[in-house]
Amino acid sequence: MAGRGKLIAVIGDEDTCTGFLLGGIGELNKNRKPNFLVVEKDTSITEIEETFKSFLARNDIGIILINQFIAEMIRHAIDAHMQSIPAVLEIPSKEHPYDASKDSILRRAKGMFSADDFR
Amino acid sequence: MGVSEEEESSLLLDEKLIRFMDQLESLEEKRATLNSLIEQGWFSMSKARYSMGNKQVSALQYASEIEPLVCVNARTQDNGEVQFCTERPTQKSSKESAKDLPIEDVGPQEEGVRRRNKPKKDIREKEASEDASSKKAPEANPVRKSDHDPQQDPLKWFGILVPQSLKQAQSSFKQVIELSAEIATLQIAVLNTRQELKDCLKNKHTLQKKGSATESR
Repeated sequence: MAGRGKLIAVIGDEDTCTGFLLGGIGELNKNRKPNFLVVEKDTSITEIEETFKSFLARNDIGIILINQFIAEMIRHAIDAHMQSIPAVLEIPSKEHPYDASKDSILRRAKGMFSADDFR
Repeated sequence: MGVSEEEESSLLLDEKLIRFMDQLESLEEKRATLNSLIEQGWFSMSKARYSMGNKQVSALQYASEIEPLVCVNARTQDNGEVQFCTERPTQKSSKESAKDLPIEDVGPQEEGVRRRNKPKKDIREKEASEDASSKKAPEANPVRKSDHDPQQDPLKWFGILVPQSLKQAQSSFKQVIELSAEIATLQIAVLNTRQELKDCLKNKHTLQKKGSATESR
């Protein structure tokens, strides 16, 4: 399976993870490592960051979906990721609607029109 | 000559800027669709939770063995852009394996019954019991496989007769997965075009500087 295509990973609240797992993206590999992280109230930022970095390091993951409010917690790690694969996609969550002005990619694209570019 | 080069670079810049704007517009549209689909999915899931019970649709219901039913193929193009497309390759094979399983189950079950009626003599009693125990072990395996088939539909984690709303939630999230691959492709395209635009702008500036230097002479 991993040889044929890449996986979609998800870091999100319970409903987001449940929804995407219903869609069929979930995987538990041979080492019983999942490609998803259910973020609850007591999940630490360190744990989220470590999971995100472990997803980046895995070569069988093509896209990482992450709730935007969780992405805000580890913004530095997301901004530091410049490679195309895996692609990081920020998605809304139940309590926090999607805000384009916070999206890493759109902020990078916006940077095009900063004063530095026209010098 | 210098002017025409400048004009050319300006035209190229305009073309890239238009492409960049088009990509951003398309990204925004797809984002809006994705957001509404996710919302729809949550709404259906909440409806399912209302009818099934609060704790019946949660992370506790996830299976102990999970196999992906969808994967993405990443194709890198010549210009450095990456194209993602989703694929659901295991659906056919899971159906085929589901068809195969009952046939496998029937065989050993009948064999077991036959053997149970057969041995009543005292001499062969021990051997029969040994045979039965040795053949019961492989019997149990296919049953277990069918019970814990890792490639099963995730809907079954939440019960056999799940409400329609949970099925609707599943179809919404399936669409979200398809769309997220498109958005990932578009995001990379936007960043790529932005880089090209920057390079073009730099090129134009150097041409302008050269032009102004020759004019001053």
